[in-house]
Amino acid sequence: MHERWLLSRRKFLHTLVGSGVIAAADLAWWEAPLISPRKAWGAEPVRFQFSVPEPTRITLVTSLVQRFNQSQKDYEVKVEFVPQAQARQKLISAVTAGSPPDVCQIWDNWVGQFQAMGAVEDLTSRAKAWRHHEDVQDTAWQTVTVGNQIVSLPLALTLDAIFYRTDRLKALGLKAPTPDWTWDDFLAIAKAFTKPEANQYGYGMRGAGTWAVLYPSEFAYANGAQVLKDGKLAINSKEAVEALAWYLDLALKHKVVPPSAPTDGFVEIVETFGRGVTSMYQHNSGSVGQQKKNVGAANFATVPLPIGPAKKRATFYFSETLTAFKASRNKEGGWQFMSFMLDDEPCLMYGKTLGLLPPRKSILSKPEFADDPALSGFVESFPFAIVSPYLVHPGWGGRIDSDGVPLIQQAIVGKISAQQCLDRFADVLKKEMT
Amino acid sequence: MMPRRAQGDLAERLLRGPVLWSGLAALSAFALGPFIWMLLTSLKNREELYATPLQYLPAHPTLENYVEAWTSPVTPFSRFFFNSLWVCSVTMVATTAVSVLSGYAIARFRFAGRDALLLIFLATQMFPSVLLIAPLLTQWRALGLIDTYQALIYSNFSFTVPFTVWMMVGYFSSIPRDLEESAMIDGCNHFGALCRVVLPLAAPGIAATAIFAFVVSWSELLFAISFTTETDMRTLSAGLLYMVGQYEVQWGPLSAGVIMSTVPVAILFVFLQRHLIHGLTAGAVKG
Amino acid sequence: MTAVVALGDRRPRPLISLRVRQLMVGYSYLLPAALCMLATVVVPIALAIKMSLYNDILYKPQDYRFIGLGNYMRLAEDPVFWLSLWNSFVWVFGSVGLQFVAGFAAALLLHQAFRGRAVVRTLTLLPWIIPGVVVGLIWEWLYQPNYGVINDLLMKAGLLHDRIAWLSSPDLAMAAVVFTNVWRGIPFFAIMLLAGLQAIPGELYEAAHVDGAGVLARFRHITLPLLRPIIVVATATRIIWTFNYADLIFVMTSGGPANATQITSTYTLLQAYSNLDFGYAAALSVVLLIVMLAFTAAYLRLTRGVEEVG
Repeated sequence: MHERWLLSRRKFLHTLVGSGVIAAADLAWWEAPLISPRKAWGAEPVRFQFSVPEPTRITLVTSLVQRFNQSQKDYEVKVEFVPQAQARQKLISAVTAGSPPDVCQIWDNWVGQFQAMGAVEDLTSRAKAWRHHEDVQDTAWQTVTVGNQIVSLPLALTLDAIFYRTDRLKALGLKAPTPDWTWDDFLAIAKAFTKPEANQYGYGMRGAGTWAVLYPSEFAYANGAQVLKDGKLAINSKEAVEALAWYLDLALKHKVVPPSAPTDGFVEIVETFGRGVTSMYQHNSGSVGQQKKNVGAANFATVPLPIGPAKKRATFYFSETLTAFKASRNKEGGWQFMSFMLDDEPCLMYGKTLGLLPPRKSILSKPEFADDPALSGFVESFPFAIVSPYLVHPGWGGRIDSDGVPLIQQAIVGKISAQQCLDRFADVLKKEMT
Repeated sequence: MMPRRAQGDLAERLLRGPVLWSGLAALSAFALGPFIWMLLTSLKNREELYATPLQYLPAHPTLENYVEAWTSPVTPFSRFFFNSLWVCSVTMVATTAVSVLSGYAIARFRFAGRDALLLIFLATQMFPSVLLIAPLLTQWRALGLIDTYQALIYSNFSFTVPFTVWMMVGYFSSIPRDLEESAMIDGCNHFGALCRVVLPLAAPGIAATAIFAFVVSWSELLFAISFTTETDMRTLSAGLLYMVGQYEVQWGPLSAGVIMSTVPVAILFVFLQRHLIHGLTAGAVKG
Repeated sequence: MTAVVALGDRRPRPLISLRVRQLMVGYSYLLPAALCMLATVVVPIALAIKMSLYNDILYKPQDYRFIGLGNYMRLAEDPVFWLSLWNSFVWVFGSVGLQFVAGFAAALLLHQAFRGRAVVRTLTLLPWIIPGVVVGLIWEWLYQPNYGVINDLLMKAGLLHDRIAWLSSPDLAMAAVVFTNVWRGIPFFAIMLLAGLQAIPGELYEAAHVDGAGVLARFRHITLPLLRPIIVVATATRIIWTFNYADLIFVMTSGGPANATQITSTYTLLQAYSNLDFGYAAALSVVLLIVMLAFTAAYLRLTRGVEEVG
């Protein structure tokens, strides 16, 4: 037994020495150099959180930030990229912990909630005194105005339109839809596109995510329905129910949507169109760049949403915004950076690279946007675009995700009717009306 | 010490032969399947990735995804790699040390509140970590530990230590007491008995615990994103998410990143799994 | 070698009795772990419990007030909560049960001596090392009805005629995510049980074999009893882990379709980060905590926990 102990003791000593070496190395490296240099006294960097760190955007934003840093000596911007799925969580945690970034790129449907939390800095006076104030479209200002306060700067704008495959239309011998096409035209084209045995479907319906509720809402407007009528909730009016029933029939009766529709989010509807599984889908201009690469710029085009039985239609604006926070430490630097991002060149570059529309009229009229066929559907939708009515009450945003989406999913699979879906959703929304 | 080939019954021969091999084949295929798909994906260029019908083998295999992932300045995988490696190694070493001590104490010493303490350790894991982010964030910010390795390492302890303590309790419990008692009769104190007798016997368990600590901190994501702001301080898990864009997932670079991130853990495991063997317990039962 | 104590020798009374010294040694071993836990977890949990007693909706700060058990009463009447609780049980016991069985089988396989053992063991470990979010993305891609590998292979093999929307059908979605979780969790059991198997001395098997015991009898009377502490620990920890594991479901289905895969921890996330209702989310977490505590206490009592073997 003694020998065995000796053996195990030696083994133990070896391990001890080994781990001791590691431990010693650990201690020496404990003060591993932080990447950020020690901040000079008084020179607080401007913290900018950007929430969609894919390589294209990272390159773009990093170059814009560098440009800003080099163009003046007063402020240094440090950008933090947060993966999109975690961006909201991180921002909320930072705000509740009292240390939000100085500038954050967020979407307008978040702004209302953060504003109601009392976390957002009021930019009204700065915005009104800003030199480009008049150049920004009114509807763009509307997306960032809560109450009477301007709480963010709109960075880029977009709205929803229909993408469709021009090559497949030609192969079927059909004519391209005009900007004034109707619901019947839409249904006919969707049916023509649908070939289940070839795994092709007409319309990539979206069943997951906030816009699963917003897309059918946009269709409802084409039937004369409204979300809010004179401040009263009208989401389950007769016209709205008819419109939703028509929309659901695309899945239930005509079967022009792929079987994965109930859980398809934005990634899926973009990818199924990109792979040729669907030949039409509804989305904003942000996916134009991808589709040019996936499908080929010559093979698709965009067209505004079809006109409905009430001879109307609507599409919702939404904007990416730059927002500052009350608890931010470097507000002046943050403002300088925000207004820089909306100067001529940065604004043009941002919109052009990402396929988004600039909020400034003078830049929107430039050929990069006005003459691109892939963007024509969006540009032609401006006249009837409205600010999303769901932004009116801050409590609605969360309810769409937690209650609205499951209801729509149940309706898409046929478990509940359009009437039931909208009635229940109306109940939920009513509770959040302030 | 190899188990002697028993000239055994039919059941034994069946188990040793066909059942063993078919079982291993099934296991490997099941575990490996998605990885093979990832590997094939990482070698395709964009057109082949989006081709319909589905294309399996890349007609023109390319390493551009790997090159892009590793050298791209916007997603510096080399840097992410190093960060993850460092944080996880330190977590592994520290967690193992702490849990060996605690596990031994709980397994061997009878003291009041022992069961309650075990339950409390476990109870700390019954709480969703997302709700812990805000208080932890305040703590780290107050201590100036944002964008440091320490914040990540300490946060990792919060979910590695409870489980590893429990595991070590389990492993120590299956080692009979007589061995230490004979050692102590011969003049060691408790710590000596621990070192000389128990640790070698518990080596497989310790190796398993170390692997566990490394692997779970390797795949940890939430804390890594919440407590770091600089791209240079991000870990591999956070870095992989940079490939998930706003409207599409960049499958090429993502799968390259996934394949690359499995390599160090696999290497570590090849070393550690050598301790998952018999032999250290041979002859130890009877005195 | 050993000091011989002659009977009758007067030994001086030590200042601290042996019993207390043992206790102190024990506690000092525990101190590092306890400190870790205190700082990183216990305090935030206490804060969260406090938060659950308040009406804490972030975008309605003017309504912030103490409401006692108000959140809990709302919880009791919330049908989605009860559905999520049921889903949680299905999720946990389905996943862990299958992981355990498959992992045990894998451990037994890997316990044998054969050439290339190191390689196979390493391969078995792979599913565990990718972050859960990425696993979710990958499997979501595999399950995609239109361009996913699973449907493609099944159709090529002739086993399927119509494409199945695995994650979009309320009936199949839970089974699909459980399957992915099983894939991910087998390595954990395989490694833990393998380590346990390795610690069983070979002579016990040989002695039993000499006594005429067949394979199954050896398994039942030697392997299982000696592995009991580890089995209990591994399954208990895994059950608790899986209850709280939201990443996979969050990425693959977000709790859908129509709450078919909504488990309590994903529901908590939804309440916290979409509805910004932190009071309610905290209440949900506390309830889940109590459920898990009750379950664990019962489970440990039932399996006689980690009492020593032999």
